[in-house]
Amino acid sequence: MDREAILLDYVKNELLRGRANNITAEDDLLGAGLIDSLGILQIVAFIDERFNIQVPDEDVVYENFNSVKALSDYLAQ
Amino acid sequence: MTFLLTQAVDKAAERTPDKDAIRFSGQSLTYAELARNSNGMARILREQGVRRGDRVGIFMNKGLESAIAIYGIMKAGAAYVPLDPFAPVARISYVIRDCGIRHLITNDLKLSMSGLLDEDVDLDCLIGVEAAEERPYTAISWDAVYASAADQPPDVGAVEQDLAYILYTSGSTGMPKGIMHTHRSGLSFAQWAAEEYGLTSDDRLSNHAPLHFDLSTFDFFAGSQAGATVVILPEAFTKFPANMVKLMAEERITVWYSVPFALIQMLQRGKMEAHDLSALRWILFAGEVFPTKHLRNLMLAFPDVQFSNLYGPTETNVCTYYHVTAVPDEDDEPVPIGKPCANVEALIVDGDDQPVAVGEAGELLIRGGVVMRGYWGMPEKTEKGFYKRPVFGYLEDKFYRTGDLVQELPDGNLKYLGRKDRQIKTRGYRVELDEIEVALLSYELVEEAAVYPVPDGQGSNLIEAAVTAKEGAALEEAALVSHISDRLPPYAVPGTIHILDVFPRTSTGKINRRALQEQATAVPG
Repeated sequence: MDREAILLDYVKNELLRGRANNITAEDDLLGAGLIDSLGILQIVAFIDERFNIQVPDEDVVYENFNSVKALSDYLAQ
Repeated sequence: MTFLLTQAVDKAAERTPDKDAIRFSGQSLTYAELARNSNGMARILREQGVRRGDRVGIFMNKGLESAIAIYGIMKAGAAYVPLDPFAPVARISYVIRDCGIRHLITNDLKLSMSGLLDEDVDLDCLIGVEAAEERPYTAISWDAVYASAADQPPDVGAVEQDLAYILYTSGSTGMPKGIMHTHRSGLSFAQWAAEEYGLTSDDRLSNHAPLHFDLSTFDFFAGSQAGATVVILPEAFTKFPANMVKLMAEERITVWYSVPFALIQMLQRGKMEAHDLSALRWILFAGEVFPTKHLRNLMLAFPDVQFSNLYGPTETNVCTYYHVTAVPDEDDEPVPIGKPCANVEALIVDGDDQPVAVGEAGELLIRGGVVMRGYWGMPEKTEKGFYKRPVFGYLEDKFYRTGDLVQELPDGNLKYLGRKDRQIKTRGYRVELDEIEVALLSYELVEEAAVYPVPDGQGSNLIEAAVTAKEGAALEEAALVSHISDRLPPYAVPGTIHILDVFPRTSTGKINRRALQEQATAVPG
């Protein structure tokens, strides 16, 4: 799996635990209120664990986290 | 004479028409624009049949239109009912049915994303949506609302005892309940707050709380009393400390008001020290106990800012407050909830409703203009929530039973001790644990369920649940989570659900929630 697929799998199956099975990488996770601030921190921890990338606090912003795609684009930088 | 919450906007529009009333994502509405557009909204609502005392829903993510909706609905003589834009649609439709909403202010995006119209709701008119054929309701676009802007609100003959808004909160029976506030109860709070915090038209207030959360009434109504600017934070920003701090700096916020959790997040992850926050003069917090360690760090980081702890269940707006003047030590107890606001009376009683001696614990009762009118459609619950007792020996008056246990300290300040019942706070949201248990038990494979709070070390609670399956049933966590997510708002869905073979029991055979809680707390992370 590429990074985007791994992230989408994590968000769908771990974070949302079946609450929104048809979300895609492009879907707005925040405008729909699917993920709360705790969820964001869980994603940050997952990225650290899975990809060994430490996202600095100043990069944990809406622009980088509003969709799985935005997140994988950010991580690709 | 000011007796309606809407009059403050019209007065500010006369005094300072070009002053920004509302800001959102870099856009503004001046007081003149807010007054004229809310007049237009009110006229449209009247044309569509809204009458004094009706309930009109607001269902959308926050924006400039939120303010037009709030004031427009009240100017039409109706009560606004803010619907949690992120709650499950079944819950939204329940609220719509429960309080008989026939008119809804929304937008096309929210409507289509939520699937609300597929639910069992019966609406006459949707405002904020484009007209489409074969819809069983009248549709009025936002463009039409703006085109109806008018200098004068309709004359509806409202009085201060009329309902102004209904806020739905968690209910222990499994369904949310509507807390009714009047113009008087809202104004009693807003006027006190504007005066106590010295708000002026130069102030720029944050609006962090959602509209269905009563902290938002400070932002909008105390703000408009002073003709100040209210800066609405997009909901998505509230998940990101770095975004919140940046906005605080860019918008030169002077008065910040939120739950402690948001402030702790900003302090720990928002790089507050890297931004110019010199405009800030007050940090107000409410909704939960602020852990002393974090409050201390925040106060040390902002030595020139004043801090205040506001307390009050939604039923009483805010009823006590405490200005934190000295930086507390790390291991000090949480700061008190303070003394009653002006025009509020507090009474502490024991289990027999007798006043307790100073220093003794008891339930806090509140009397005054800030107290709600009652629970929508629940006369018995309303009756139970109030306690009638003689005043001065010859008057009988109503006190609201907060369900909160407090004690009076030697200096007259009140200290919060805990709840009488099973209501908890999570991230500032008020949740009845019973409501979550009802939702779990409604899943057909669940035999028994127990829900309990687990302190998160940030002064708030996470929610955990444990369930047992019916005999022979293959109960899976994911399916159960999906089931309750259709019934509860996201913050009330337990973070972990343990599926147990048997529950730990107390000697009387009840589920031992304390044992479950202790096990949970012992697990790191």
